[in-house]
Amino acid sequence: MRRWLPLLAVLVTTACGGQQSSDVSLCGSAGRLRVGLVGAAEGRAQSAAGVLPDQDQFRLRELLMVASRCEVQLEPVLSPEQARLRLRSGDWDLAFLPPGLTAVALEQSGRYGLVRQLGRRSNAKSQLLVRADSSLKTRADLRGRRLGLLPRGSLTGFYLPLFNLHGLRFSEVHYALSYADLRTMLDEGKVDVIAWDGSLPADKARYRVVHEDSHLIPLGALALSQSLLQSDHQPFLRQLDQNVTQLPPSLGYASGVIPEPYALKELRGIVAAVEGWTLPQAGQPYTVYGAKGDAETAAGGGR
Amino acid sequence: MSPIKRLFPEPGRRPLRQQLAITLTAILSLSILVAVLLLNLLFGWQAREQIDQRAAFFMDAMLSVRAYTSKKVNPIIAPLNEGTGLFRPEAVPSYSAQTVAGYLKDKEAYREYSYREAALNPTNLRDKADSFETGIIENFRRDPSLTRQSGSKSTPLGVVHYVAQPIKVTKESCLVCHSTPDRAPKSQLLAYGDSSGFGWKLNEIVGTQIVTVPQQAVFAAKDRSLLATALLMVASFAVVGVITNMVLSQLILKPMREISRKAEEASVTPATVNFEERERRDEIGLLARSFERMKQSLSISMQMLKDRKGQG
Repeated sequence: MRRWLPLLAVLVTTACGGQQSSDVSLCGSAGRLRVGLVGAAEGRAQSAAGVLPDQDQFRLRELLMVASRCEVQLEPVLSPEQARLRLRSGDWDLAFLPPGLTAVALEQSGRYGLVRQLGRRSNAKSQLLVRADSSLKTRADLRGRRLGLLPRGSLTGFYLPLFNLHGLRFSEVHYALSYADLRTMLDEGKVDVIAWDGSLPADKARYRVVHEDSHLIPLGALALSQSLLQSDHQPFLRQLDQNVTQLPPSLGYASGVIPEPYALKELRGIVAAVEGWTLPQAGQPYTVYGAKGDAETAAGGGR
Repeated sequence: MSPIKRLFPEPGRRPLRQQLAITLTAILSLSILVAVLLLNLLFGWQAREQIDQRAAFFMDAMLSVRAYTSKKVNPIIAPLNEGTGLFRPEAVPSYSAQTVAGYLKDKEAYREYSYREAALNPTNLRDKADSFETGIIENFRRDPSLTRQSGSKSTPLGVVHYVAQPIKVTKESCLVCHSTPDRAPKSQLLAYGDSSGFGWKLNEIVGTQIVTVPQQAVFAAKDRSLLATALLMVASFAVVGVITNMVLSQLILKPMREISRKAEEASVTPATVNFEERERRDEIGLLARSFERMKQSLSISMQMLKDRKGQG
């Protein structure tokens, strides 16, 4: 019975809300709604359940099915790299994205548009973290060291750290799916420096920040594919807005709030610039180098 | 008087034509009703057969894709996944089957079909079994002799027919990616993490392949066929009724009315009346011959009365 409660709520809201509901379904090109779910925050989830607990996933799927009147294929993704590839190949019709992937989605030649804001304000900052007992004090000291990053697609864990390390050569680059895993790698001595999110607690006695980027990290967003944006998607969004309490709170869905693309402008420039570089392979040496273009001016304050 | 008695009064209270029409209508209506009920059962059985056939075909097609990937594609792609580069899911039979099913869905005719491989502990979280699918998997795990489950499933979008088969780990090679993270390709760990899709055991049922096919369209087509058949039957029975009535009228009613008119005339002037129908070999001829004899008897009697009057 509990699993049908959200659906009942949707039906009651539709019937009693006084607003006209649409009989038109909002489906993707394959006759179904392919939904990507990465969540609003980057590098927090260490496991499948960390993206969204099973029950929340099923409830979200049913809610989306009722709102879109379409078969829903929900794909929770742990790795931002996998999500980036899905966005690039247009595999998703709708996606719940963190900031970095939101910027990536906007860089796909207008394939996606942002319709709702996700996540909550925090003091997220891209940092470079070393162990407190490390001799590394400045960015220049990182030359020839081993670097730990989140996969490609993460803003605070990949694009901003690389942008801020421009010109340096690393002996190895390693990846982990979460900041917690990166910290473990640092503790175990597998890497010398890791990308870090300043909003996460880090024991100052054990770790030290060698660099902090000054950019404000924007919030994540719910992105819709262009074909859905060109369809009548307002009834669908209205259903989600009206049933915001049925959506998993961890998504931070902001009812009726349309993201401000301007807030992403600078960071989009950085993402676009880094995406144009030759990017590091896991376990391989890597020199951070590539054209910065317009993004250099934007990043000036962060250096 | 009850409506049935009013419609079917005792014989002889209405003209024969009306009695015949009412009786024929009642018989034909009852026949149509019984036929439609039987046809409904037959068409329903045929529709279910059709749905089962479609589901079986769809399932077999997907199993073939799986087999092809497993035998031909995986040996080429799997070694590429050993490194830390990008994980290529094309090596995974489940991925290729579901991708092909997705392409099929692009076609209008297959839009309402679906194929899913759901597991209790999948590598890709997209394949996580929901409560309905978990129930099906648990049934397979409880009863290993169970090879197939099917039935109707109600979804927010309507009722669908599903057919499910178990996914059993039959090859040791499956355990490379699904036993422990340390055996799995590094690229897989970077793509999907090390917390899901592990701990599978040989010969364990880990999931289910579920095909769903639309049954609403098939049953709607069945209802349309049934309606068309019923209308055709009504039309043919109506034609049969009208023809029967006309034939009866021509063979019985019209000659009887003629004999009746002649009998009436014969009661006044028997000499002027001739029952030509007496030449017929049927019951009408018999009746006409009887009236002919009666007419002759009447003529003789009237002649005798006249003669007696003349003598007197």
